Amino acid sequence: MGEVILTMNDIDKSFPGVHALDHVHFDVQRGEVHALMGENGAGKSTLMKVLTGIYTKDSGTIEFEGREVEFHNAREAQDAGVVIVHQELNMVGHLTVAQNIFIGREFKKGVKIDDKRMNEEAAKLFKRLNIDIDPTATMSDLTVGKQQMCEIAKAISHEAKVIVFDEPSAALTESEIQELFKIIRDLREQNLGIVYISHRMDEIKVITDRVTVMRDGGYVGTLITKDCTKDDIINMMVGRVIYEEPKTKSMVPEDAPVVLKVEHLNAGKMVQDVSFELRKGEILGFSGLMGAGRTETARAIFGADSKESGDIYVNGKKVTINSPEDAVKAGIGYLSEDRKRFGIVVRKTIAENSTLASLDRFMKGIFIDKKKENEITQKYVDSLATKTPSIDQLVVNLSGGNQQKVVIAKWLVRDCEILIFDEPTRGIDVGAKNEIYKLMNRLAAEGKSIIMISSEMTEILRMSDRIIVMCEGKVTGEIGIEEVSQEKIMTLATRDIQ
Amino acid sequence: MEKIKQNPIVKKIGFNRIVLICVLILMYLLFCLSTGGKFAGLPRILSALNYAYFLGFLSLGVTFVIATGGIDFSIGPVMFCSALISGYCLTSLKVPMVLALLISILVGLCFGIFNGYLVAYWSVPPFIVSMASMNIAKGVASVFTKTQSVSWPQAADGGWFRKLVKIGNFPMGLIILIVAAIICACLLNKTKAGRYILCLGSNREAVRLSGVNTKKWEMLAYVICGILVGIAAIFFVGAYTTVQPGYGDQYNNEAIAGCVMGGTSMAGGLASISGTLIGVLIIALLQEGILALGFTKDYQLIITGVIVIVAVYADVVARRRKN
Repeated sequence: MGEVILTMNDIDKSFPGVHALDHVHFDVQRGEVHALMGENGAGKSTLMKVLTGIYTKDSGTIEFEGREVEFHNAREAQDAGVVIVHQELNMVGHLTVAQNIFIGREFKKGVKIDDKRMNEEAAKLFKRLNIDIDPTATMSDLTVGKQQMCEIAKAISHEAKVIVFDEPSAALTESEIQELFKIIRDLREQNLGIVYISHRMDEIKVITDRVTVMRDGGYVGTLITKDCTKDDIINMMVGRVIYEEPKTKSMVPEDAPVVLKVEHLNAGKMVQDVSFELRKGEILGFSGLMGAGRTETARAIFGADSKESGDIYVNGKKVTINSPEDAVKAGIGYLSEDRKRFGIVVRKTIAENSTLASLDRFMKGIFIDKKKENEITQKYVDSLATKTPSIDQLVVNLSGGNQQKVVIAKWLVRDCEILIFDEPTRGIDVGAKNEIYKLMNRLAAEGKSIIMISSEMTEILRMSDRIIVMCEGKVTGEIGIEEVSQEKIMTLATRDIQ
Repeated sequence: MEKIKQNPIVKKIGFNRIVLICVLILMYLLFCLSTGGKFAGLPRILSALNYAYFLGFLSLGVTFVIATGGIDFSIGPVMFCSALISGYCLTSLKVPMVLALLISILVGLCFGIFNGYLVAYWSVPPFIVSMASMNIAKGVASVFTKTQSVSWPQAADGGWFRKLVKIGNFPMGLIILIVAAIICACLLNKTKAGRYILCLGSNREAVRLSGVNTKKWEMLAYVICGILVGIAAIFFVGAYTTVQPGYGDQYNNEAIAGCVMGGTSMAGGLASISGTLIGVLIIALLQEGILALGFTKDYQLIITGVIVIVAVYADVVARRRKN
């Protein structure tokens, strides 16, 4: 470890309805790997977006190499030497590896793009990183892991001095993670400052030198990794929040009927021969790596994407689902992982969003019965404890957790028996997260059946009665909550990956 | 400024609408002053209103389409097509007047169904669909009338439909337009169709994933637009008698300008019928004023073009600030 290369001091940032960053402090030294930890919604990504100029801070200072800086966009940050390797890869699939790495700053020979030189430069980069990728390969032919390596190579090629890794391991297999760690250690040797964002406690212990913990948009503290235990970090992350007790045994009665049965479902590469059963009052967890096909399975069941084959039975009766309309009629509700794109209509009110799936029940002749709509909406705002000044509030002005409650209300107003919750706590602050957990347990106790897709291991272990693990579009296993362990899930989640 | 915006009366009417009404009045005064008072008086106002009637129906129609996040560049030529086909049926094929008027609406409806089906069910971009049907409308009208212009009868020759526009000096058309606007406002804000149209304009996927048949409702917006365009044709010939094949494009811009100026967002999801109505009055007054000031029709085109860009840009800026 060496001198401090980057300091963020007293950073403050608010969005409508959310105090996203509350006077946060963060610094990075040359030659260290600094973990940035916190639960979903703690403010890690926001902090990094402020750093790279994607968001402008409300107050505070950023010092980089001894000078105060303010980047106005990611490009400026890049040019100065601060680069993010994003969780979602920003690659153009049909271009070659080298073309992707040098996109926007291609080498030219006159007006012509000099592909030969780009390939050579890319090869040099890969050599420096000790990775084996052909610069002339087409990007979409590479595995997710290899694509991530390319993203890292691209970051290095910017003469980066600080590299931020935003959950780099979410889509990687064990051996790919080892390869990633080797690269990160090399970069540390080369005296770069590295920020490592991850949820996985084991990784933090292995790869990082210091840990900074954030909670609810605030700075909690910084620890030397080798001097602290996992529990120290977890306590700092969770703080005062008392979570729902993790389940130790299934809460589903022995004789609970099967409400949803999926048989031999096929939909493209991501859903291959998926079969499972969901019982009344059950929370069925779907676990797996990013890109395992869980969301695709949910969307195929719900009719959001077309399927090739497979039968779906609701309450023992075979149903034909070709569109979300059919699914909703069959009593299935789907809470999307991407709330902004697929869940809420942002520029409409809470009332309008809440009744969107069941408007037929609010008609008085040809007109919408606003009075009834408002009554029912208010009822669910109260019972879900949605924080809002009024039901006429535009949904865009609510915080993530409250937006999620509006989407849940939409399906409860519709009275759906089967609920598919896809990453229900993504982008939600810690307090609201526990409220969603409580709500799910309550719904299950009331006899609703829930499929919960989650990438957070703790969430899967805490909430599920039973867990289905997927890998590369196939179901690789099913584990009851009584005999589950993190290792068992990870083994199944990477079983089919070479 | 913020204080004015928070005033309960201002809030009820809507700040944007108050600004628009002020613009309308100021513009009128400006034209009166700069023409040395010649612009004042009933004849000019009636003339501007004649322009506002058909444009108003076009603009109301396209408001529904823009509310879905789509666009329709065929409204002007389709209006001409409606007027030409129904007029030809009336004058050359001697169908009764009532039937001719129905044919006009029917032609508009057909184009609405055509546009809507292609956009909603085949997912062809609205821009392309409406550009193509603009040409189809022009072509169909020319073929049908053998490239002849059509003159609808004067009031004295049994042209009773003209009473829809004007009875003596009484602006009957304005009453009808306002009634139509009220019906449109109810449709957009109080019915299921309007709710779905606005919501899918704001976030189509979220509405679809709520189990709503978005295709059906999106198509309906174009159908409503088509019917209103058919009605616009009646008011066009009611005011100007003669229609020539091959024209009508300029009204696209004017109708869209009126709609966007009135606060309907080009991104979809937000629409104001009353805003559209005031926007149309401003555009109509402007056309009349430009001529009164002694400029040629070409300047009308330039100015409306600029208005569309400014109004859309203002909407873009407003949205960016909100995000």
